[in-house]
Amino acid sequence: MKLKEAFSSSVIRQMSSAGLLMVFIMALTLETVSLIQYTFSRKGIREEAYLRAESQLEATRNRIMDVVNQTESAVRNSVWIAQWCLDVPDSLFRVAQRIVEDNPVVMGSTVAMVPGYLKSRPLYAPYVFRNEGSLEFSSLATESYDYPSKEWFSEALDKDSGYWSEPYVDIGGGNVLMTTFSMPIKDSSGNVAAILTADMSLDWLSEMVGNIKVYPNAFSMMLSRTGRIMVCPVDSFVMSKTVREAAEDLGDTAAFSGLNNAMLAGESGSMPVRYNGITNLVYFAPLERTGWSMSIVIPEDEIFGSIKRIGLIVTILQIIGLGLLILMIRFIFQYLLQFHAMTEKKERMENELSIASGIQMAMIPKIFPPFPERTDLDMSAAIVPAKEVGGDLYDFFIRDEKLFFCVGDVSGKGVPASLVMAVTRSIFRTVSARENSPGSIVSQINDAISNGNESNMFVTFFCGVLNLRNGEMLYCNAGHNAPFMLTDHIEKLPVKPNLPLGVIKGMSFEEQQFRMKDDDAIFLYTDGLTEAENISHELFGEERVERALHSRTDAFGHLHEMQEKVAEFVGEAPQSDDLTMLFIHFLDNGIRHHVEFRNNIEELPALASFVEKIAGEASLDSAKEMNLNLALEEAVTNVMMYAYPKGTQGRLKLEALIESDFIRFVLSDSGAPFDPTAVPEADTTLGVEERKIGGLGIFLVRKIMDSVEYRRSGGMNILTMTIKR
Amino acid sequence: MEMNLIKAADGATVVFDGRLDTVAAQEIAKDLDSILECASGPIVLDCRKLTYVSSSGLRIFLTIRKAAAEKGGSVSVRGISNDIRNVFMMTGFLNLFNIED
Repeated sequence: MKLKEAFSSSVIRQMSSAGLLMVFIMALTLETVSLIQYTFSRKGIREEAYLRAESQLEATRNRIMDVVNQTESAVRNSVWIAQWCLDVPDSLFRVAQRIVEDNPVVMGSTVAMVPGYLKSRPLYAPYVFRNEGSLEFSSLATESYDYPSKEWFSEALDKDSGYWSEPYVDIGGGNVLMTTFSMPIKDSSGNVAAILTADMSLDWLSEMVGNIKVYPNAFSMMLSRTGRIMVCPVDSFVMSKTVREAAEDLGDTAAFSGLNNAMLAGESGSMPVRYNGITNLVYFAPLERTGWSMSIVIPEDEIFGSIKRIGLIVTILQIIGLGLLILMIRFIFQYLLQFHAMTEKKERMENELSIASGIQMAMIPKIFPPFPERTDLDMSAAIVPAKEVGGDLYDFFIRDEKLFFCVGDVSGKGVPASLVMAVTRSIFRTVSARENSPGSIVSQINDAISNGNESNMFVTFFCGVLNLRNGEMLYCNAGHNAPFMLTDHIEKLPVKPNLPLGVIKGMSFEEQQFRMKDDDAIFLYTDGLTEAENISHELFGEERVERALHSRTDAFGHLHEMQEKVAEFVGEAPQSDDLTMLFIHFLDNGIRHHVEFRNNIEELPALASFVEKIAGEASLDSAKEMNLNLALEEAVTNVMMYAYPKGTQGRLKLEALIESDFIRFVLSDSGAPFDPTAVPEADTTLGVEERKIGGLGIFLVRKIMDSVEYRRSGGMNILTMTIKR
Repeated sequence: MEMNLIKAADGATVVFDGRLDTVAAQEIAKDLDSILECASGPIVLDCRKLTYVSSSGLRIFLTIRKAAAEKGGSVSVRGISNDIRNVFMMTGFLNLFNIED
């Protein structure tokens, strides 16, 4: 998958939504886990609080019951003494005195006679009580007090058993909060004679219960049997109000009614109570015998404060974490979007650039055969591009009966290479529109490319100019691999290596020459061919290229076969480089003749018959024929006589090509260099005495022929002469 | 190529028959001295049957002409074809010889 597809903006947006969904799910999971954790912790903490409250309640209850039991025991243990003393009423105060004396928890004690039991004294109740460390004696049988109407007396009498009174403030007997345990005293005949009591102060109770501090803001409450508040942080409520009344004062009756009922029913347990906007947990338990009920009120915040704080911190951390995650995701997706935009931009640019080079490349001839009207040229070319845009090029065109062609390979790959390639091709076209010499074409391209070549790219380049009239091929190589030349055998065209294009400005490139004969062919290629790799990294190599060239066929067939051979060799391996091939098959369809001589003028008659034959085929008139004969004889004689040292054997060759409107002769020899065109013209205006005997031959050649060109190449003197038909 | 030298009391007539090419000119050059002996008189180069002349042939003509000039004789060329006349023209020989039809 291409990067572009992977990061198309819609995909990124989908991913972004998916990311946010992921964060949401994570948040949900985290919160659920936290909630479960919180619930369980809360349960644990609630249990712990319950245990703490219960143990506190239990401990307090035990301490209270201890005092209660002491008081109760003090009375019960004295019952028999009181019974015994009934016969002597005056001794009864002793019983009360002993109870107070022996029991520090007892504040006061009385033996209150049932009214009318004693004939002598209708009311009799001696009372002993503590007052600032010492015992004082008094009597409760006063008009104003009227003890038989008191609860501690009447209830015990009614129930005929031990009785704990409701707490009360004893105005007469010490002005303290008290409760009294009463016990009936029966005489020997089983009639209730008196009520024995012990008063217990409840001051310590308030302090003890008030001191229960399970949590800093927790407080304790104690209710009497009838619902009266015995202990409570609000002093004004103590003994003056019931819970119900207090609740009315606090403006929330409903909240406490359930608790009140449960406590009054002597139940133990816990119960949430909400008032003043605060939820409290109330733990409560009854105290036996007295009918009191004790409770600890703990604000829920106190219990769950720490876990709530921890929960809050965890939640905050989670929110921060998730926030960061969202930011991160946003950042990543923004980055991806930017990256995507950048990639798109880059791709668009690359696309545009490759379109630009594509336009250039599109101008390269691609229709084969390129010159269907020509019978002297059969050519084909192919570029097999690698996946990436590459830097191979070929080009060719015909101007003035000359085939200009080139093959090049730009260093590197990708868009830069393809641009350099396009530029090179363009310059090739421009320069070769006016320049005939491949040497100067290559030099000029080199200069143009070297100019401002900051990227240091270079181009290996082979440029040739094939004269279609005579098969004369001039070529210039710039660091490219040598083409194969297919004559009667196959060999590599000898090339000067030279430097590639774009390396050094102002360099001159050496030009070379090859004479292509009828049916000769040249095969040019880039290293993408010889360096084609198979899976085991073997190279196709020049030998395989040469072998593939052996079966001679037409240009298209050659390239086709080469491509098949390469494909077969490479197999599954990916193509790493462009593969470019150019095949030029030269077919000389002009009427061609040639004659060869030794350097002996005895052989000249062969020239005459040669000329006769040419003249016949070219239908020259006799004057033209004679002139032609004359010129050729002069040229040939000149070589025979002077090219080779006297007494040595040498050969010379004369070729003739009859074209539609002219005949071309090429005279070649391997003798000493001699340029007849450089000889000064004979002066035909001089008089007899001044005229030189020699020099007329060359003069005649130049005079008769329409063009005479001399070239020294490959150790050969090559004289090319044309004459109009 | 055939060449006949017909000597007169004063001067001579040289008859060329065929192609005076390089090979022929080399042959004639061997007999050139016998022609040059007659150079003090008028020499007629009879070219009516000459079909071709190369520069070597022209050199022979020029050699004869130079000898005649030296010895005070004259050289006339008789009956050259148009083709050869053309060669004479190209080489400026028309000015060096008396051209007779």
